[in-house]
Amino acid sequence: MAKVKTRRQLAVETAVLAPLDWIDERTGAVRGTKWFLFRNVPRDISWAQTLGFATLIAFAAQALTGAILAMYYKPSSEIDPTTGKPIAYASIEHITSELTLGWLVRGMHRWGASVFVILLFLHMGRVFLFGAYKYPRELQWITGVLLLVTGMLMGFTGYLLPWDQTAYWATVVGINLNGTAPFAGPWLAQFLAGGPEIGADTLAKWYALHMLLIPGAVIALIGVHLYLVTRLGVVSPPWSKEQAGRIRGEAPAPEGAREGLVRGSGGGD
Amino acid sequence: MARDLGERNREWFARYKDDVKKEGKPFFPRAMLHDTIMGLVTILVMIGLAVVWYYDADGTEPGILGPWYTEPAEPGTTDFIPRPDWYFYFLFYLLRIFEWPETVFIATVGIPTVALVLLLGLPFYDRRPERRPSRRPVAMVAAVLTVVSMGVLTWKGATATEALGSELIELVPEWAEEQGFADDEQAVAGADLFAVSGCLNCHTYLGQGSANLGAPDLSAVGRTNDAAYFVQYLANPAQFGNTVMGSYSYLGQENLEALGAFLEASKGGG
Repeated sequence: MAKVKTRRQLAVETAVLAPLDWIDERTGAVRGTKWFLFRNVPRDISWAQTLGFATLIAFAAQALTGAILAMYYKPSSEIDPTTGKPIAYASIEHITSELTLGWLVRGMHRWGASVFVILLFLHMGRVFLFGAYKYPRELQWITGVLLLVTGMLMGFTGYLLPWDQTAYWATVVGINLNGTAPFAGPWLAQFLAGGPEIGADTLAKWYALHMLLIPGAVIALIGVHLYLVTRLGVVSPPWSKEQAGRIRGEAPAPEGAREGLVRGSGGGD
Repeated sequence: MARDLGERNREWFARYKDDVKKEGKPFFPRAMLHDTIMGLVTILVMIGLAVVWYYDADGTEPGILGPWYTEPAEPGTTDFIPRPDWYFYFLFYLLRIFEWPETVFIATVGIPTVALVLLLGLPFYDRRPERRPSRRPVAMVAAVLTVVSMGVLTWKGATATEALGSELIELVPEWAEEQGFADDEQAVAGADLFAVSGCLNCHTYLGQGSANLGAPDLSAVGRTNDAAYFVQYLANPAQFGNTVMGSYSYLGQENLEALGAFLEASKGGG
């Protein structure tokens, strides 16, 4: 039986599609989404190639839990006269042991940082193993390395915020390490410490770095990274017999291998 | 070379795009389903870690994943051993390898910078189109060496303990001989105190101790000032513009004088 759309169905369709068309005509957002979603990937891609998406999810979870923590965290090293504890420390105590599910949000954020860093390294290892950084994905690799660096900086700056002994002394060491750099070192250490002593100014500065500046850089880099992966696609596992881009006729073809190179004689990278 | 590298690269990529178009599978929903499953696993791992961490610890009482928090930050304490988060252990341990003040920048700036430049430049010096690991022996060996060395450094960083006072006190006769204060009882007593009071958590002395906190080497500090100055300094470092180091006046005047004598006798040896 052939499908015949009733007038009612047509009306509903138009009502749904018209606003989308309106938006698409002005922004290209619908075409962009289709471009992102309705594309083909090689049929032989492996589970190892889901690590990049997992890293993205870990970052999204960090952003969400981080935003919630920011609603309750107070970046101040001042001593609260009633509790005798620094205000930042007391707010972390409050989040962990009094706020409903605060422990879960803080726990996920704290351990999510480790998960995020591990996934960054695993994803990079996969890309290296697959040789996926080669032509034409060089910029993809560079944005990835910059994401690794900014991701580690997130961990470095976030570590101070609980304002406990672990946080404080690790940061003292971290700032002094920056101070050993030639030329810029002392300036960098002075900037990071926000003064001669690690105190109120340091905490506010690191909070801003951790919450605004570095995440902004991470999000921008992720945007470029995702655009490039959509534009250039993902590679097949290099050992696959049916990989995209294989040379037909001469089975397990060394794609683009140098002519005259004896098999197995290396050549190296 | 028969054909230009750029030309071969472009031919390969044109073939790749053609193959993906003709025989590939749709990203949505099939590939995205796998991605979503992996994303959910990631979230579950984060929740799992949070649950274990929270229920196994209690306040400053550590559980299997450490405490909720340690004591509030206290700039005056001197006995706290600084530890970064675990994923910085490899950098942290490099500092123990290059512990001499003149070489510290190799660990803090030199090696990380070289590593970062090598990493960023990878697609530009490894330009061969070959992607199979079995045909990239140099890349694979380099990768294994990198992973192993980072693993070892992380492990060593995780298990490293600062030298204990009881170990350092064994070195006092050696120091006394090298600095020539073996006959000065007061200086030797000061050296014993110096070894057990945690001074070497921040300072270095004749190659011992930790330079992590950026405190100066004291091997030849006796050339700069006399004992009376050091006693005053130890009692109130802030008075001398040093706001990082805490006061040691709790040691008592007799002990401070012993430390002062020891520091005055420390003229760099040789």
